[in-house]
Amino acid sequence: MPDAAATLTEDRQRLELTALSAPAVLFTVGMIAFPVIYTIWLSFQSFSSTGKPSFVGLANYAKLVSDNEFWHGLWVTVALYVLSLVLQLVFGIWLALVLSHARRLSSIVRSLFISPFMMPPVVAGMMWLVVLDPSLGAANYILTSLHLPPSDWLASPTWVIPTVALIDTWQWTPYVALIVLGGLQSLPPSVYEAAQIDGASPFKTFQRITLPLLLPTIVTATILRSVDLLRFFDIIYITTQGGPGNASNTLNIYGFRVGFEFFNIGYASALMLTLTAIVFGVVLAFNRLRGAVAW
Amino acid sequence: MRARAFAAQLMLSAIVIGAAGSARATDFDWKKFQGKTVTFLANNNPISQALLTHKADFEKLTGITLKVDGYQEQQMRQRLVTVMNAHSDEIDVFMTLPSREGAQFGAAGWYADLTSMTRNEVAPEYDYAGLSQALLKAATYDGKLTSMPMNIEGPVLYYRTDIFKKCGVDEPKTVADVEAAAKKIKACDSSITPFVSRGLKPALPYTFSNLLHNMGGSYMEDGKSALCSPKDKAALETYSRLLRDYGPPGVVNYSFPQISALYRAGRAAMAFEASNELRTVMEGGERLKDTTLIPFPAGEAGQVPTAIGWGMAVSANSKQPNVAWYFVQWATSPAVQKLLAVQGIAPPRSAVANDPEYRKWIDEEPVRKEWQAALDVLAAKGSSEVGYPIVANPESREFIGQAVQDLILNQKPVDQACADADKALDALIAKK
Repeated sequence: MPDAAATLTEDRQRLELTALSAPAVLFTVGMIAFPVIYTIWLSFQSFSSTGKPSFVGLANYAKLVSDNEFWHGLWVTVALYVLSLVLQLVFGIWLALVLSHARRLSSIVRSLFISPFMMPPVVAGMMWLVVLDPSLGAANYILTSLHLPPSDWLASPTWVIPTVALIDTWQWTPYVALIVLGGLQSLPPSVYEAAQIDGASPFKTFQRITLPLLLPTIVTATILRSVDLLRFFDIIYITTQGGPGNASNTLNIYGFRVGFEFFNIGYASALMLTLTAIVFGVVLAFNRLRGAVAW
Repeated sequence: MRARAFAAQLMLSAIVIGAAGSARATDFDWKKFQGKTVTFLANNNPISQALLTHKADFEKLTGITLKVDGYQEQQMRQRLVTVMNAHSDEIDVFMTLPSREGAQFGAAGWYADLTSMTRNEVAPEYDYAGLSQALLKAATYDGKLTSMPMNIEGPVLYYRTDIFKKCGVDEPKTVADVEAAAKKIKACDSSITPFVSRGLKPALPYTFSNLLHNMGGSYMEDGKSALCSPKDKAALETYSRLLRDYGPPGVVNYSFPQISALYRAGRAAMAFEASNELRTVMEGGERLKDTTLIPFPAGEAGQVPTAIGWGMAVSANSKQPNVAWYFVQWATSPAVQKLLAVQGIAPPRSAVANDPEYRKWIDEEPVRKEWQAALDVLAAKGSSEVGYPIVANPESREFIGQAVQDLILNQKPVDQACADADKALDALIAKK
């Protein structure tokens, strides 16, 4: 009988806890689910936002296939993603190694190294817009002072993607470095001691020990940066608005313009859900990779 | 002191209006809606900034509380789209650019019709007839008056008299003269950008439309896009050539902030930019004495300047359109527009433009006189057609911009650039 009483009390406690937490859980789920479900609903509508919506089924998704601007936007998104990610990983790992070895570096210098990613992207965009202005900017002034040819930077269809990638790399490399630095500090010292006893060179130590052991951390950084880079918006919107022409018109910029400048909310929703699916796919792929490289 | 004098005059006008109203059968009473609150969705530009410095005057005059919801232009439109789609009544009054979104918002039924308000709920001194008829016409869709003009603006040519003198160039009288002047300046002083105007895709139709109309071109012929017509092609080539051969590097990313900065810094000899950039261009005073300002010189069709203006609209979802109208009426009244005029906001009323106190302000600097003279031309001859006169006007600007950028960047020959744009624009026109 005492057991039955105890079970009854436990059940009651569980019920009470469920009842108490239910509103918060429902609110949170609702807050996440509602916008997603609403966007899915919008993507099945022909909805110009200045007219009445009408159900069109998968027509908005079918339109994507024949929309050259969509394919171009996808290409720009992928190009910018790959270029930025590679640069940020290479420089981020390098910066983390510098910071981990230069222990005597003052905290001010360390703070300066990591300060760019604390800057709001809009401010960073405005700042680089001024620096890279082909006529009045400091970048071309420095180049010409060094007797180097000036560049059109963000105004050149050829150079706009590398330039935007460089701005993003400037801003987010310290973030990658911080993640990698955390990984470096958690590596077991014993393997380094063993390598030292075996006479391994610093490069071999990095290649055979540090890099493989850091892989799970690097993949984590890759996932975090992938999500941001595939949704890249703010710096491009501030600096080029997708131009010149449509040379930097990423999917996110394109979707924003279709939705909020041309008021075609239905098609913009289909674009954005497609982009979301791409982001999910990439994150899932890297998650699997993380499982494979875990130690 | 001058602002105070105007404020006093405004209050006096209000008292007079009130007194006059009380003597009439259908009394107009500024205090009719005392205690109410009006929400104003504002574009945080110089016009609303100047207007809102007098917010307390409105509240004192009417007893209405003015709640301001201010954003940058694009963010303001996003907020408006969200609010209007939700059929929310949280916005009573919003700022709008009829030349850009008028047809679109009109078709969506977002504007309250102000026609009857301007007839029945109007202060005796409002002087409806004194407002620019061209701007009122531009704000009328399907017979409905959708907004009241807040200002008048358009692109004008700022040029440096000292550089013109040094290089032996006369004031350009025609489009061809502008190009000839740019060529001469380029040869005379290579450190100066001879000509600068808008090259950013969605922004350039504002200036390009002026050149197109001056050269006798038009966006549409027989219901079809006409960018490949001989006159349109000539305009596309001329505009892009001016920017490509005589503009600054990176001009394809140039809109008003870059143009004003370049000209103000003394790095450009000619700038074809908005009249309401005068204050920015003259900031610091360096350009005050060496700048002249004229409407863009004539082409084959003479001078057909672009003249647009921001308007103030009452939301169709507002539950208190009459209260909202009181704010619109106050903000676009002669007394308030006179206050704004001396803050550099060009008035959409000729009576204000001719007001002695405003004229005194104008006469203080020669460049202000030229600015006003150019605005007079805009008011008299202006066309508000910026981009295609269709519901999808904002999208049409993209394709115009793309065609011009293709030429500036030498990415396509003119025949291909205009044909590609025409194809996309015809599809847009067909969408209705």
